[in-house]
Amino acid sequence: MLDSMFQSTTIPVLEQVMRFSQARHNVLAGNIANLDTPGYKSQDLSPEKFAQRLKAAIVARDEFSSTPKEPLEAGDASSASEQRVQFAAANPLSDVADGLDDILYHDESTGSLEKQVSAIAKNQMQHNLAVSVLSSQFRLLQAAISERA
Amino acid sequence: MFSSLDVSTSALVAQRVRLNAIAGNLANMSTTHNEAGEAEPYQARFTVFEADSSLPGGAPGVKVSSVGVSDAEPRWKYDPGHPDAMKEGPHQGYVAYPNIDMTTEFVDALEATRAYEANIGVIEVTKSLAAQTLKIVA
Repeated sequence: MLDSMFQSTTIPVLEQVMRFSQARHNVLAGNIANLDTPGYKSQDLSPEKFAQRLKAAIVARDEFSSTPKEPLEAGDASSASEQRVQFAAANPLSDVADGLDDILYHDESTGSLEKQVSAIAKNQMQHNLAVSVLSSQFRLLQAAISERA
Repeated sequence: MFSSLDVSTSALVAQRVRLNAIAGNLANMSTTHNEAGEAEPYQARFTVFEADSSLPGGAPGVKVSSVGVSDAEPRWKYDPGHPDAMKEGPHQGYVAYPNIDMTTEFVDALEATRAYEANIGVIEVTKSLAAQTLKIVA
């Protein structure tokens, strides 16, 4: 029940954005740590490709949730859990941030400190944005549950 | 708003290249041999900047279009016993030293430093603007 309550909000999308920005922060911090390593090529996660995959996953999720499903029978426990497993497996948003390996690329410019630092600053701004919108979404849900603004 | 960070970062990179060129000039103020070991005085390097409109966000950034070598006349110093002294010609007995003026290079280094700090100030303003914007949501 909680799954379907959250699926209709933006909470899963923002969760994927937060996981991506955390993973990207780790990659960029590794670049700064290796600035003096000879032969090191700096790496990055591509935010454009991540945005495309997230968009495709959102479209897929909306198509899935808009197709009509059969109502659950009260005494039929096995089919209820089957449906829940099917729903979780078909939810495309859950594995957007899992397979981040294929958008990891080697940035050909050899580690300029200013570029790494500014990429970290932009990543941090995106992370803060996702966190702020996520917490306001939770506050909305809480207002709906407690029936108090 | 995130893309204005790219414009300031391009300026940081360009000023750092300029500072490197100035540091090279000051380090080689008395260099009379080039990298191959031949007797040739060091010529001062200077950077040429050009506006770069390929960045997103509307405002043009800056990029280093070339690092040029100046063709100023060397500074002649009379020293007939020096192994690099000219053997014949109008400068016989003179050694050719690089024509690098320490005061000019230092003032250029100051200017590059202040430009670097100014761009960092702009980055701080951009970051605080983004933080203020998020306060609308939170």
